Amino acid sequence: MLVELRNIRKSFGKNHVLKDVSLSIKEGEICALLGENGAGKSTLMNILGGIHQPDTGSIYVEGAEVKLTGPEHSINLGISFIHQELNLINDLPIYENMFLERDYKKGFKRVQHQKMIQETKKIFERMHVDLDPRTLVKDLDSSYKQIIEICRAITMNASVIIMDEPTTSLTDSEIERVFTMMRRLRDQQVGIIFISHKLKEVMEVCDSYAVLRDGKLVSEGQVSDVTTKDLARFMVGYDVRTDRLVQQRHRGEEILRAEELTYNTDFFNISFSIHQGEVVGFTGLLGDGRSELFQSIFGANDISTGKLFLYGKEIKIHTTMDAIKNGIAYLPRNRKENAIIKDMDILENSAIASWNMHAKWGIIQNRVHREKLDTLQKQLKIRMTGSSSSILNLSGGNQQKIVLAKWLSTEPRILILDNPTQGVDVGAKEDIYDIILRLADEGIGVIILSSEANEILRLCNRTYVMYHGHLQGVLEGEEMNEQSIMELATGGDAFISKS
Amino acid sequence: MTEKNINRFHQFITWFKDRWSTSPLFSIFIALIVMVILQTIVLGFDYNSFGEWFTSWTNNWINILRNNASVAIVALGMTFVIMTGGIDLAVGATLVATGALTMTLLDVGASGLLGSIGITGWPAILITIIAVIIFGYLLGSLIGVTVTRGMVPPFIATLGAMMVFRSVTQHFMQGSAPRVPSEFLQISNLQIGNYMIMPIIYWILIAAIMYYISKRTTFGRQIIAVGSNERAARLSGINVKQVKFRVYALSGMLVAIAAIIQVSRIGSMDFAGSGRGMEMDAIAAAVVGGTSMMGGRGFILGTVYGVLIISVLNNLLNLFGVPPLLRDAFKGIIVIAAVLLQRKEKTS
Repeated sequence: MLVELRNIRKSFGKNHVLKDVSLSIKEGEICALLGENGAGKSTLMNILGGIHQPDTGSIYVEGAEVKLTGPEHSINLGISFIHQELNLINDLPIYENMFLERDYKKGFKRVQHQKMIQETKKIFERMHVDLDPRTLVKDLDSSYKQIIEICRAITMNASVIIMDEPTTSLTDSEIERVFTMMRRLRDQQVGIIFISHKLKEVMEVCDSYAVLRDGKLVSEGQVSDVTTKDLARFMVGYDVRTDRLVQQRHRGEEILRAEELTYNTDFFNISFSIHQGEVVGFTGLLGDGRSELFQSIFGANDISTGKLFLYGKEIKIHTTMDAIKNGIAYLPRNRKENAIIKDMDILENSAIASWNMHAKWGIIQNRVHREKLDTLQKQLKIRMTGSSSSILNLSGGNQQKIVLAKWLSTEPRILILDNPTQGVDVGAKEDIYDIILRLADEGIGVIILSSEANEILRLCNRTYVMYHGHLQGVLEGEEMNEQSIMELATGGDAFISKS
Repeated sequence: MTEKNINRFHQFITWFKDRWSTSPLFSIFIALIVMVILQTIVLGFDYNSFGEWFTSWTNNWINILRNNASVAIVALGMTFVIMTGGIDLAVGATLVATGALTMTLLDVGASGLLGSIGITGWPAILITIIAVIIFGYLLGSLIGVTVTRGMVPPFIATLGAMMVFRSVTQHFMQGSAPRVPSEFLQISNLQIGNYMIMPIIYWILIAAIMYYISKRTTFGRQIIAVGSNERAARLSGINVKQVKFRVYALSGMLVAIAAIIQVSRIGSMDFAGSGRGMEMDAIAAAVVGGTSMMGGRGFILGTVYGVLIISVLNNLLNLFGVPPLLRDAFKGIIVIAAVLLQRKEKTS
């Protein structure tokens, strides 16, 4: 047993986050730690990482009981925590990041660049990483950043590595790269705790699993004994749908048409259209340019060349205000950076995009916004205590629903959703899918940008696949499946469509 | 004490602790009250009657408030600027530039601009006030455009503007000694029931308007959004550049008003010395009042408290006979102490 947590309890004020949880990790085991947001995963891992101290319960590292005093203590005992927000300095080269705050830079000693480079090379050879240690971290894609973190953990002689949702911002091929790395670590007898919301990944890479719900361990065992459906049930406490939700609706009027949109090196000659009653997907791998394309359509990035037609009439969008006036709404990816305003309360976060629509003489009509939020709270099943508390008090799923409420209050005709279920737990995910389908029923054109093929397949009537800024093809009906999407997304053209 | 009273006392303590730890405005307000009590004690009660004591106490306070009215008004504009994550170092220089225009327009001598085209008396004063406020708006706009269109960091843009505005003003005003008409002095010196409180009234009025703007208008709330998360604000349909432009323009206008008050108080202005360090006083007031230099958080009411705390402190130092050159040290300590006081423990 590498690490064992026994009967851990932890409360923050009146909030009992962990209620008697035990968990253990063996050498050469990848253990999935599962649970919805707020189930207590992060708190449990923060305790193992030395960031929080448990109220009661004990921690054993290689058989000996320890009292972790802080993050450094955990690291010294061989426990490395790779946080979701990577702890790398973009403007430094890889090798300096590998040795941040460590020996080769300590005190007044000369910084030993050569030595750090050599050490980094050694680690890279061992882990089969093909990178130049002198590359700046900002020039790396997200998967390599993750890999650098893993390598750093290894240089610190980690015997247990905690990975908090390492794959959220990665594309399929990048995820594969990280998985290969994880398997290599397993072969070298390292124990890994893998936190993820993506059950398919858990099935693919993990050996064992442990599920937390409401601060309790509700299930644990070998991954080979269960299905994703079982895991989802353990997490939410009831059966979760996994079926296709696509509905054939009457294909109405054309809402939006784009012709030959091009911008710089981001995207080229993009033409597409969306009709009433349709849910249209845009998918591809990282760097496919779909976010840039729709941010530009929304007026958030520089304007592209080409034409946009709304209900057959050409429109010009220069700013996000223009887009909103024209009934276009865009829910961005990376909620925390792009959507949440942490210094404002829930009501304000839900109303910010529609302030101007209702304001009289520049005065915000809070009554109108409060009524709207009340209605939307019921429709979207938002769980919150009061509209004047901080948005940060909400779970990820409820935060995302508030962001969705913000856009629904602008009464959009087109709703663009970029990674709508990022960092959202299983239950809230299904709620969001329901909302999407209902909006499509109401005649709102819904565009979903997602790299999760499963999400696209379950929701979309039609899917455009992008590759390096080009529209590689469009898939519909029978021809839409994981394999055809993958083939187009990686640059293949077997499925270039007729439509 | 009866059981009931003890209970009430405990309730009060819990309430107090809770407010103290959650509301930055509350702790600042308590700090202010404590300082006012201290000041009252230091002033002493060595008077023949309560009436006499009260008159003396009130007069002292009216003096404090009147002397600080201009910097208080400037600090209100500064608060908005800081709330967007910016800073306005040019307020002192804008003060002399707008002050110089005020005096040039109104000069009763041969070179008076309005006088030379035959406009005198109250019409001239009214035109001057409007023109000077517009001028303040223009100077602020200049900074606003540099920051938003030119993408120059606010610190640099306003540092540059500070040097330009003051130097140009000093150059054009050298050798001239404009005198303003005596009616103009009424603006600040008009007595209301024996009290010269006009500057205080302007301050309260402007503070009230600014408070309303910050709480209830789209502009006021957009300032928070921009300061807190600029990217999210833009992606929520907020015209970030317009909001930023407006805070600098508004700051310029408020400085112009402060300049008018200052010139009408004493009838003249020292173009080399006036407003020097004003930017620091205004920033200090905002920061003491709980405004975050990172943007996204700020309180108009806090800035009012901030100005009061710093002025009471000045008054106290004066009463204690602290040597003038040492006084800034205390001011500095108070600013840092205020921020330490507001640093609430992060809850996980």
